[in-house]
Amino acid sequence: MQAALDIAAQGFHAYLVEKSPSIGGRMAALDKTFPTLDCSACILTPKLSEVSRHPNITLYTYTDIESVIGKEGDFKVRIIKRARYVDAKKCSGCGSCADECPVEVPNEFDEDLGFRKATYMPFPQATPNIYTIDMNTCIRCKRCLKACERGAIDLDMQDERIDLEVGAIIIATGYRLFDVSAYPRLGYSQIPDVINAMEYERLINAAGPTHGHLIRLSDGRIPQSIGFVQCVGARDVNKDVPYCSRVCCMYGIKNAVMAKEHHPNAEVTVYYADIRAFGKGFEEFYEMARTRFGVKFLRGRVAEVTRDHKTQRLHCKVEDTETAKPIEAVHDLIVLSPGIQPPIGIEELVRKLGITTRNDGYVDVSHYYFGPVETKVPGVFVCGCADGPKDIPDSVTAGSAAAMRASIVLARGGRKK
Amino acid sequence: MNDAAESRIGVFVCHCGHNIAGSVDVAKVAKTAESLPHVVYSTHEMFMCSDAGQQLIRQKIKELGLNRVVVASCSPRMHEPTFRRVVEEAGLNRYLFDQVNLREHVSWCHMREPEAATEKAIDLVRMSVARAERLESLPVKSVKVTPRTLVVGGGIAGLRAALDIAERGFEAVLVERAPKLGGHVAKWSHLFPADESGWQVIAPLIRGVGRHPLVTVLTDSHVVGFDGYVGNFEAKIENLKTKKVETFEIGAVIVATGFEPFKPFGYYSYGESKDIITLAELQELVPKPDFLRPSDGKPIKRMAFIGCVGSREPGNKGHEHCSRHCCSAVAKAASDLRSRVDEVVVLYQDIRTYGRGHEELARLARSKHVIYSKFPRDNKPLVHVTKTGRIKMSWYDILSGDDLGYEPDMLVLATAMVPPEDMADTAKMFSLTRSADGFFNPEHIKLAPLTTHTAGIMIAGAAQAAKNASESVIDASGAAAKAVGLMARGQVEIESTVSHVLPELCSSCHTCVTACPYGAISMDPSKDPPIALVTEAKCHGCGTCAAACPSSAIVMYHSTDQQILAMVEAYLCSPSVTVGGAT
Repeated sequence: MQAALDIAAQGFHAYLVEKSPSIGGRMAALDKTFPTLDCSACILTPKLSEVSRHPNITLYTYTDIESVIGKEGDFKVRIIKRARYVDAKKCSGCGSCADECPVEVPNEFDEDLGFRKATYMPFPQATPNIYTIDMNTCIRCKRCLKACERGAIDLDMQDERIDLEVGAIIIATGYRLFDVSAYPRLGYSQIPDVINAMEYERLINAAGPTHGHLIRLSDGRIPQSIGFVQCVGARDVNKDVPYCSRVCCMYGIKNAVMAKEHHPNAEVTVYYADIRAFGKGFEEFYEMARTRFGVKFLRGRVAEVTRDHKTQRLHCKVEDTETAKPIEAVHDLIVLSPGIQPPIGIEELVRKLGITTRNDGYVDVSHYYFGPVETKVPGVFVCGCADGPKDIPDSVTAGSAAAMRASIVLARGGRKK
Repeated sequence: MNDAAESRIGVFVCHCGHNIAGSVDVAKVAKTAESLPHVVYSTHEMFMCSDAGQQLIRQKIKELGLNRVVVASCSPRMHEPTFRRVVEEAGLNRYLFDQVNLREHVSWCHMREPEAATEKAIDLVRMSVARAERLESLPVKSVKVTPRTLVVGGGIAGLRAALDIAERGFEAVLVERAPKLGGHVAKWSHLFPADESGWQVIAPLIRGVGRHPLVTVLTDSHVVGFDGYVGNFEAKIENLKTKKVETFEIGAVIVATGFEPFKPFGYYSYGESKDIITLAELQELVPKPDFLRPSDGKPIKRMAFIGCVGSREPGNKGHEHCSRHCCSAVAKAASDLRSRVDEVVVLYQDIRTYGRGHEELARLARSKHVIYSKFPRDNKPLVHVTKTGRIKMSWYDILSGDDLGYEPDMLVLATAMVPPEDMADTAKMFSLTRSADGFFNPEHIKLAPLTTHTAGIMIAGAAQAAKNASESVIDASGAAAKAVGLMARGQVEIESTVSHVLPELCSSCHTCVTACPYGAISMDPSKDPPIALVTEAKCHGCGTCAAACPSSAIVMYHSTDQQILAMVEAYLCSPSVTVGGAT
């Protein structure tokens, strides 16, 4: 979004192509952000609004890239606007269709913790503000057709192919979270009270499935003791994630602080390898978590999480490497902080664009110093987590930088609208 | 739009999901607002900022002829522009909108007292409605932007920014105090994670700006005067040698003044032996076939590094932050030098090799048998230099639980990145604020890391916070995008919520001129006697002048005395003050 805004600010036209029904990305689902504890949606939604209203930005959501041909200054991109079975021009986002829809499925925006209908909007400030019908779960009962006063529902809608002519391409495809069930010993997907950090975000989010009540998923009770396990699927050669994911230390600390905010008397422990609080204000935030909020930090990789069937509590075996003593801590809730990985589908996109990835799967940049936002194909730029894990300010900065470099290409002969 | 027409006010109360509605009874707030004077419509909605919420406002303005809008939601800091735009789209002047902050000011700080929170929310809405009735339309003004950017600092960030601006087709003036461009990077023998020397990276940039016709390079120069406002700055630049001062008209500024490597006097016997040096000094050593001790020229066999020198010290102002680059730089230096010496020991607190390719460097160092040893944060290593000039170190190794000792031939201290000595002067010159780490404050730490609170002034590179050279390059291109955005548009809107001097009341006392923190007020010499004159583009609307003026000659547009007194009156003279009153 930042890249599109900075391109548009210069008077060039930007096409913003997004795979999911709404722009906003992962940040829309987060609760608070580190290190200032700003509410994520609250600082994000003005950007959504700005993008959707900008005269120089055309939004294509629920859209995939089919093919790319051409060269720097003159690319032809064919996109497929997938059928959302709702006419974007007619839909006012009123939600009558969803009220009538009888199909309830787990809501991916809530990490499947809550439910949505087959006709849905991922979150209230979704941009564009229109509904999408998920044909994988729709039972074609046609109740929505009757409910919609504007006649916006079209169950026979077809995918639409559109050709765009552009001078430059910016890849900002983000990341996916490491699947923490790859560590069976940590109990995720077997023990309901072992959750991942994204699920935790939705649990503490006031707009989330529990209205922001931090509870145990197994029995709804308030956890009195919470453990956060860091580096799950990061810095682990054996799981093919040798690199550091950069954000987990800070979001882990932020989550620990939020646990204290929700339940001040709860005991909160973070299990870590190194605390990497390297960004502006990060170390100070870490210090505040320790001293002001009383979050306990224990250096050690968790060996195993088990559940005591009598007490329903979780036992966490870990070596405190600072005292070299194995300990067994007892918690009510354990949150695994997954590392991040290249997004699903990046290989295909990379192939279409003719660019390269490194063996870690992230897009290769042309040079750390001469071209940190350039790919090996001229005119194709990259920003955000597409070329490696980044936090929000670093992603926003890279977005602006990619826009700058792309605008140089456009100014040399790009189209000015 | 006629402001004199009778006010028809619409009140829109936002739930903000559960954020506000969780502790404030929003339905009650909306219901109470209905009975307030001039309110013709009042409602509550899940998210006023959503498209549906915005649509509702537009629809009600048209349907009911609303001419004032109050939205009771979050801090205006984020969504005021959204709602101003919404009322404008429905044909109202943007200044006929008022926002009440029910989230930061009410629900979040009174989370556990829902009744009192609701009462406070009702009070605030009542005050806002009273103010809204007296709101006036103001003109929307814009000023032109001079298509030239001043880049302060000729290090890697400044060079990249100037070059990007020029390649995009705009002029850049690059000012560097030193006789040569290149900053710190030019001096470094090795960068990480790749194996270039600093010079290899910086030389093409220096050549690039040197031969680009749109870049004016001023070395041996510094900014001695800076004045103006977004799009229309004037910079006076003095040549340090010739003392000649040149004046430039400037549209935007990128401050890329970088950092200083901390000189750690008082730490680990720094300064007591030539063989105790900082990481920056190590990087500046000229590569030679033999790696020799600076003190006696003997070969170095045993080497040690200590991390976090002058960084991560809670309570020590200016040294509390992590310096971000050092862990990876140490890993690189240690693995490089390991093949030239017999033993390398690295003492650390945490290993923060976070970046792409950095973790690999740390792994490489270990695979080359660099010894890493973790020391406790509250029990730092001890270093002393013996009479014979030998370096003796001792520390507690957390992971083995042992007290360890070592006698290195050379000790390298990985010191903090700290702001340059004249950071305060630079901050004052460009009206920038500084955060606790001493570096400049961005406009927003998450979403606006490159712009500042002063419109038209950007920050890039280590001037913003400790960071490595590659990250500085990305900053620089990003900041250049912001400057180009301004210049390409050619003009920029300015706020109309500014102060205004009523000439007939001004007594020419100059009080406001000295009171203004932004230098926005001057005396108009064309009048006799000269009276105060506000440069609107420089005014931040803070009201300091209006408060200081002994003649009440200053009006704050959009916060007039009448508007504020109406709010006070609405608060004090309300029926709800007596309700539930027994305390």
